Amino acid sequence: MQVMNRGPRHNLHQEKVQVTDWKKTTRRILGYIGFARGKLLIVFGLTIFTTAATIIGNRVNGIVVDQFLKASKLHLLYVICLVLGVMYLLSAVFTYFQNSVTVKVAQKASADIRGDIFSNLQRLPMRYFDTHDNGDVMSRLTNDVDNINTAMMQTFVQLFTGIVSVVGMGAAMLVLSPLLTLIALAASGLTYLFTRAAAKVTQKAFMTQQEALGALNTQIEESVSGKQVVQLFDHEADTMATFNQTNARYTHAAFIAQSVSSFIGPVNNGTNNLAYLAITAAGAISMLTGSSTITVGIIFTFLIYLRNFTGPINNVLNLINTLQLSLASAERVFEVIDEQPEQDLPGAVTVKTTTGHVEFEHIDFAYEPGRQILHDINLVAEPGQTIALVGATGAGKTTIMNLLTNLYPLQTGRVLLDGRDVTTIRRADLRHLITVVQQEPYMFQLSIRENIRLGRASASDDDVVLAAQRAHADGFIRQLKDGYDTVLSENAHNISQGQRQLLSIARAFIAEAPVLVLDEATASIDSNTEADVQRAMTGLMKGKTSFVIAHRLSTIRHADQILVIDAGRVVERGTHESLLKQNGAYAALYNSQFDQQ
Amino acid sequence: MFKILMQNMHGKVRLTFFLAPLVMLIEVFCDLQQPTMMADIVDSGLAKGDMQFVIKTAALMLMFALIGICAGGGSGVLGNYASLHMGQSLRTKMLTIALNSRAAGGLPPATLITRITNDVTQMQNLVMMMTRGMVRAPMLMLGGVVMSTLVSPRLAPILFVILPVLLVYTLLVMRRSLPFYTDMQGKTDDMNRVMRENLQGAKTIKAFVLEDHQQAQFSETNNALLNSSVRAAMAAVPLAPVIQFLLNLGVVIALAYGGSLDVGGVILDGQIIAFINYMIQITNAMVMTVNIITAFSRAITSATRVQAVLSEQVGEVRVGSAAGAPQDSSVTFDHVSFGYDQSKPILDDISFAVPSGQWLGIIGTTGSGKSTLINLLTRGFDDYTGTIKIGGVDTQQLDLAAVHHKVTVATQDAMLFSGTVRHNLTFGDKVATDAELAAGAHLADADEFIDPLPKRYDAPVEQGGKNFSGGQRQRLNIARAAVPDPDILVFDDATSAVDQTTNARIQQRLVQHRRGRTTLIISQRVANLLQCDQILVMQEGRLSARGTHEELLASSPFYAQLVETQLGGGRSDASDESRS
Repeated sequence: MQVMNRGPRHNLHQEKVQVTDWKKTTRRILGYIGFARGKLLIVFGLTIFTTAATIIGNRVNGIVVDQFLKASKLHLLYVICLVLGVMYLLSAVFTYFQNSVTVKVAQKASADIRGDIFSNLQRLPMRYFDTHDNGDVMSRLTNDVDNINTAMMQTFVQLFTGIVSVVGMGAAMLVLSPLLTLIALAASGLTYLFTRAAAKVTQKAFMTQQEALGALNTQIEESVSGKQVVQLFDHEADTMATFNQTNARYTHAAFIAQSVSSFIGPVNNGTNNLAYLAITAAGAISMLTGSSTITVGIIFTFLIYLRNFTGPINNVLNLINTLQLSLASAERVFEVIDEQPEQDLPGAVTVKTTTGHVEFEHIDFAYEPGRQILHDINLVAEPGQTIALVGATGAGKTTIMNLLTNLYPLQTGRVLLDGRDVTTIRRADLRHLITVVQQEPYMFQLSIRENIRLGRASASDDDVVLAAQRAHADGFIRQLKDGYDTVLSENAHNISQGQRQLLSIARAFIAEAPVLVLDEATASIDSNTEADVQRAMTGLMKGKTSFVIAHRLSTIRHADQILVIDAGRVVERGTHESLLKQNGAYAALYNSQFDQQ
Repeated sequence: MFKILMQNMHGKVRLTFFLAPLVMLIEVFCDLQQPTMMADIVDSGLAKGDMQFVIKTAALMLMFALIGICAGGGSGVLGNYASLHMGQSLRTKMLTIALNSRAAGGLPPATLITRITNDVTQMQNLVMMMTRGMVRAPMLMLGGVVMSTLVSPRLAPILFVILPVLLVYTLLVMRRSLPFYTDMQGKTDDMNRVMRENLQGAKTIKAFVLEDHQQAQFSETNNALLNSSVRAAMAAVPLAPVIQFLLNLGVVIALAYGGSLDVGGVILDGQIIAFINYMIQITNAMVMTVNIITAFSRAITSATRVQAVLSEQVGEVRVGSAAGAPQDSSVTFDHVSFGYDQSKPILDDISFAVPSGQWLGIIGTTGSGKSTLINLLTRGFDDYTGTIKIGGVDTQQLDLAAVHHKVTVATQDAMLFSGTVRHNLTFGDKVATDAELAAGAHLADADEFIDPLPKRYDAPVEQGGKNFSGGQRQRLNIARAAVPDPDILVFDDATSAVDQTTNARIQQRLVQHRRGRTTLIISQRVANLLQCDQILVMQEGRLSARGTHEELLASSPFYAQLVETQLGGGRSDASDESRS
């Protein structure tokens, strides 16, 4: 007797899932558990044993009821009971073994899948991260891998045991009594049909419920996070009125949907009871009329078989749904694993040094075909020069710089470092030679020391401190309770935006790259830190070929060349003085800072 | 916890809450009758060959099965009614508190949102459990024990030995595995974090060639998660086989012992069968009970979190005695101090006066108290010391509505609400005409992107304003404050995300629309304050300097340095040029 049947799960409203190639996907999942092939085969073998033990054990129980309880064969009864006891013990041990093997195999396989996702994901081109929502990728790594895990833990093993049980019990039942089997099958069918019917009836109500719940949550989220605005504009009453409507709508829809489905459990339970009744009554009547070979023992055995039959059959039906869901998950996961990673051109060369001579030659660029972002960009930066890129948001300044480190594939034109096309240089080398300080630098959940050291893994602790000093970050770091060992929270929310920038400048200092790309923050930062950032950036640029996407006029004024970018074109170039004299776009931009009277 | 439930269930709802478990008892009772009646069929019907009795009992069983279905479903309907309406009432209460709380400190928005959404759902589940599972499982267990003792008293001792052993074992396994599960949760969070970092920091990782570093870190957390989850799962693995074995053992003993009694004629076949059936029922109920205990403990945590929200201080709003807002639009702060914590004031003895129609600028470091100043002016908090006056009247004497009509704020956080552009812009003036909307949008330089929208003011705004860029959201936010054309307009660092050119245009329009009307501008950019009649410099909650731009250049080194870094060396001639 197995009491741990999970019972019918009410997977009523599964999303429609599309599995494009289930054979291939299944084969790939199986590939992940291939390492434990031998153990899994043993598990399947044992499953057959435990199922057989249940079938035989129960039949023996029935025979005992029929025969040994009648006659005075007590010693035989005891022997049989002892044999049964041993059999049950063995089957418990086997179940333990089965489950522990499944758990370990499934977890190991999940970890392997996660590993594969990660190692491919982080080598994917920038384009992938631009076009894929973080939440979506995260959900593939977590939910989808969980689904595959469930598929392996439950589906493969339970489906197998389920089928073995159903076939075994079914056969045993059929042998015992075809009439009673028919009744049992009718009961199972009825339960299944009812569940389907209920699902259909409630589907619309459940959809309304989901939709209302979505609206409800949105309203809660908005009004709580927008509390200040709600209060400032005396909007509390209106907000509550709208909310109350949605709240009532949700409650009503949920009540209807859940009331109907709350009958599913009792009906299944009742159908089971009815099946029991029908079997007992049918058995009893045929015994009394003497028309068949049914005995009390057979009825008894049959009832227990029935328990072991309806459970798994419901399970198997549900598992088919789960399996479909898991396969769809697996396909989503394999999509990430199969995505083409960034690859160096064949024959890409190793370059360890550069003078810092950079040239952009007739660059046209589009992130997606048909939407050209850059038009014929030309630019020569001599070693040690500072080049400022100026222009409105979205003009293409950052895009130009992205091409320098070969983050995106170039369509026409060339970017040259010391006269060599950057796409022919190994990416790792190229990026070691060029340091990028982003507008919103990313900090990892590591200590400040480790975050700075990310610039160059070989840097010593002293190097870290020196870099921090040169970046004007040492002062604020030492004021923190744990100094350089302060662990940053996720996204470094425990320090200010300006301080994050100082850390990223320290990181750039330690990298000691000959070429520098600085993306100045548009948003104003803490005025106090701003002076530090300004000084640190000036220090960092010294002796390097520097490209600055500039928003601060003081930075721009000191540049060797200023390029004014508009809609992906260089519209003006020159020095601060020469551009002011031209009295064109640059002059207009410069004056707008002060021209407010 | 029970108190929360009772406070949110009244009348019909409360009635259904108590009725549901009673109806559930009927279902349990019906379920429990089945094995006994079957034993009757075997022992009385079959043994005596009494067809009449078999049919009569079968009819009775059918009746019980049908009543069981109705009672089970019915109690579900009742329980759902109670739980959903309890949730409805709880959500309304919590949101009302969240929206009206004006006290300092308090729960952060993200926490509040989770509590009003997830935790309330947990509470709803709790009610369902209390009305159904928590009644059904223990009653089935208890009823099973009683019934089996009644049917076959001689076999009952087997139950009394096996059941407690099972129960204790199950609880032990649960207690042992719980810490493993907590550990696993922590490891899962770690793994998710590394993954998230990798996604969010993709560009940084590429820029500094950190792929191998990240890979190593991920492998480490992934392995830790693997070990932890295997440990957690393994802790629970013995449970199923042990329960199964003990149950089977009980059946075997019942057979052997019952058989020996049967031979002596003390016990009947049917009784043994019924006993075994009850035992299976009891074990199932036990597993159910254990699951419910786990679920229950989770729900209790939610109840505590919900309670914390319910007991938040809403803070009495003092109703003003003055009839309406004063005509005059001056603003005065007189020795105002404020702080959540007495020893570390956020604002320390602030005094200043803005004559009606003048412009005031406020500049200072992050956390210097600039926004708090505005919060006090608009009566976001009432527990400050000193006096704040609008038009010469103490704001404490004014109605909140009067204050908010007089003063509107373009907040630092450009929060938009889903709906339409119109819905968002009419927050301060529900009956604003299109011309008034256009004037507000013009001031904010938002007309530039609203006008081309196909539906213009009726264009949709998605949740959080996601369909607008950061700069556009800020401009809509400014327009919202400008539409009511308030006597006093406040910009609380409201243009931080717009680009230089747009910022300059907004400054121009501000001059055009607000010259000669009281306007307060908080900004980190010196350029935004050049038009102000008076500028306050704030540092760490204090007023460190005040004056016009020129005065401050001379008197405040801090201010002078800000100007130097932001506007560069040439700023004085440049500003002279444009001012002349």
